[in-house]
Amino acid sequence: MKSMTSVKSALSAAAVLLALGACAPGSSSGDEPAADANAPVQTGVPSGQVELNLIATPESGAAMKDIIPAFQTKHPNVKIKYVDTTYDDYNKSLNLALSSDTSPDIVLLNAVGTTVKDQLILNLQPYAKAYGWESAYPAGQLNQWRVATDGTTLGSGDLYAAPASFSQVGLYFNKAKLKKLGIAAAPATIEELEAALAKAKASGETPLQLGNKEGHASFPIQLIGQSTDGPAAYAKWVFGEGGATFDTAGNTKGAQSITDWGTKGYYSKDANGIDLQGAVDKFTKGDGVFFVDGSWDSKKIGDALKGDAGFVPFPGPKATAIGTSVAYGISRKSKNAQAAAAFLDFLRGPEAAKASFAQGFLPSDTSTVTAEPGTISADLIAAWNKVNADDGLIGFNNNATATMNDTLVAETQKLIAGKVAPATFIRAVQSDWARTHG
Amino acid sequence: MADSLANRVAVRDRTVVAPATPVRARRSRARLVPLLYTAPALLFYAAFVIAPWLHSLWISFWDWNGIGVATWAGLDNYREILADPALRLSLVHAFGLILFYSVIPICFGLVLAALVANVPWKGMPFVRTVIFLPQILPLVAVGSVWKLFFDDDGPFNALLRAVGLSDFTRAWLGDFTWAYPAVGVVGTWVSTGLCFLLLYSGIGKIDPALYEAARLDGARAIHEFWHVTVPGLRRELSVAATVTVIAALASFDVVYVMTGGGPGESTMVPGVAIYRLTFTAGQVGTACALAVVLSLLTCAVMFALNRLTREKP
Repeated sequence: MKSMTSVKSALSAAAVLLALGACAPGSSSGDEPAADANAPVQTGVPSGQVELNLIATPESGAAMKDIIPAFQTKHPNVKIKYVDTTYDDYNKSLNLALSSDTSPDIVLLNAVGTTVKDQLILNLQPYAKAYGWESAYPAGQLNQWRVATDGTTLGSGDLYAAPASFSQVGLYFNKAKLKKLGIAAAPATIEELEAALAKAKASGETPLQLGNKEGHASFPIQLIGQSTDGPAAYAKWVFGEGGATFDTAGNTKGAQSITDWGTKGYYSKDANGIDLQGAVDKFTKGDGVFFVDGSWDSKKIGDALKGDAGFVPFPGPKATAIGTSVAYGISRKSKNAQAAAAFLDFLRGPEAAKASFAQGFLPSDTSTVTAEPGTISADLIAAWNKVNADDGLIGFNNNATATMNDTLVAETQKLIAGKVAPATFIRAVQSDWARTHG
Repeated sequence: MADSLANRVAVRDRTVVAPATPVRARRSRARLVPLLYTAPALLFYAAFVIAPWLHSLWISFWDWNGIGVATWAGLDNYREILADPALRLSLVHAFGLILFYSVIPICFGLVLAALVANVPWKGMPFVRTVIFLPQILPLVAVGSVWKLFFDDDGPFNALLRAVGLSDFTRAWLGDFTWAYPAVGVVGTWVSTGLCFLLLYSGIGKIDPALYEAARLDGARAIHEFWHVTVPGLRRELSVAATVTVIAALASFDVVYVMTGGGPGESTMVPGVAIYRLTFTAGQVGTACALAVVLSLLTCAVMFALNRLTREKP
């Protein structure tokens, strides 16, 4: 009797499994034909009432509250609904939102991820041609959103997102503290930076403000790495080009420097327990002579430190920055792709540029915005122009694979706690990369 | 279970009622009746617990990112779990949390309950409420508050400084040695109230005559505790252990909010790893495999626990 029932229940379980398994998970989607990159498209806004849904994160989408009304004034027949979700939740739910039947039309893309591979977003190459985006932006600014036909290699191929504005990671410094240390100008080479850090330590200051709870030690490592290796060579790894490796002289130097700076007490021994916003708060309260962070925090830092806040590209032979664009793509499920594309084109106009810059994001063309000399905004523009002149803008290492951010968080924490040597750190990062691109 | 119940009913039926209809038909009809009673609950259990679990099991054999097309992976996902030291470590961490979620709270709860039960006390309802309070708070809120507590500028460090221990201050949740116990302490804080309340009500049900008899035999308070209270609480202890061990093995909220598994992988638990594999890495198959392994391990622990606490026949 007993064995009979267990046989029966095993059979019914198998039946359920078979019913569930009639199709492989996810196999019902993704069988639409791929978009033809050469198909002609219409520019401009179509006539008739159009409603577009746009989703973003609060930080990147901050300028939308000014940009959307400006667009709607120009095109009264278009209504754009804006919804934002916090960064973490946004990234985790974006693919599901795009694949749902109620997909938004325009989406903020923080990284390409699997959106192209899974055919979730529209190939914008036809619109790029029609609107002339390729001649309007420097090549480096669009490359991050070019995806090869394999769906994972970045930097070449068709365009999948249009940049609205840019962020750059560089070196913030406290002018008052630098002056007190007797240093006349912001460091221009790594050697000068290290000398300044040593001087700051000797006079009892915190030389470098660093919060690594969320892995931001990876910023200085990447900045030292890319300025040592040169931006063109360094970008290959970030783009996932076959054969690239993280094991370069620059990254080794970067990892070694961060380790040494920790041993010398240049940053807090509690760095692993401080998040980025915590570090920003400390820096604005005068804890730290230098601070490596992105332009997105410039408003907060400028408001608190006023004239004492300074910003330069990270010191090195070439002006390089880690940066990415606040870029928007169009859902494959959007029924109003033409209107959505018209909105993307509007994002590179002067109204959108001003609104973005007010939130700390840089426009591609800095001639559309102005800043008072001596302010952090003026420093940001000057740094941005230098970086672009050297073609030194490189995407975040964190975006090299879907899991790279988590890997960099865990591995930099081990590195600065002295749990692993720089060589082990580099091996761990490369092995994550190799799982996707190797 | 429903089946053995049906058997018992059938057996009773046969002995009481004369076999007017053929035994076989009666038996099968009698078997159906109790099934009918349990059907609504069974249906929900099947739809919302068993079916999703089987679905996870099914997905665990595929290489799937949650959106695109899946490819058959066989046992590859399971091999990956066993091969990945970080994922193996997360399982070890989950079992380590049993110390903080179950062992310590049950010890605390037992001692507290035994102490309080002997002293009739007016303020008892108030104390009970306070001790139980952590249990009814959302764990995300609990985690957020404890995170602030252990912050480098937080109250815990302020406390240490106030008593002259400023050399010991640190960002507790960013420290490779201390982050894990700091997360564990929260589990103890949450579980102690539940254990206390369960055991306290259990003590009330122990026959006072047993204590009297023990005292007549010359037992002291400590003997009473070991030989009367503890054996008398076997059932309550079993329930407390079951609930808290499951909470330990399935922990997610507190760890996710407080450390996200860091620094490094020093507080990584399966719950957080499964979440990350699904939503960040897009390795839904591997995530499901880890979930299946975790649920099987949990079942095994429950089985052992039931064996251990079962009353001797």
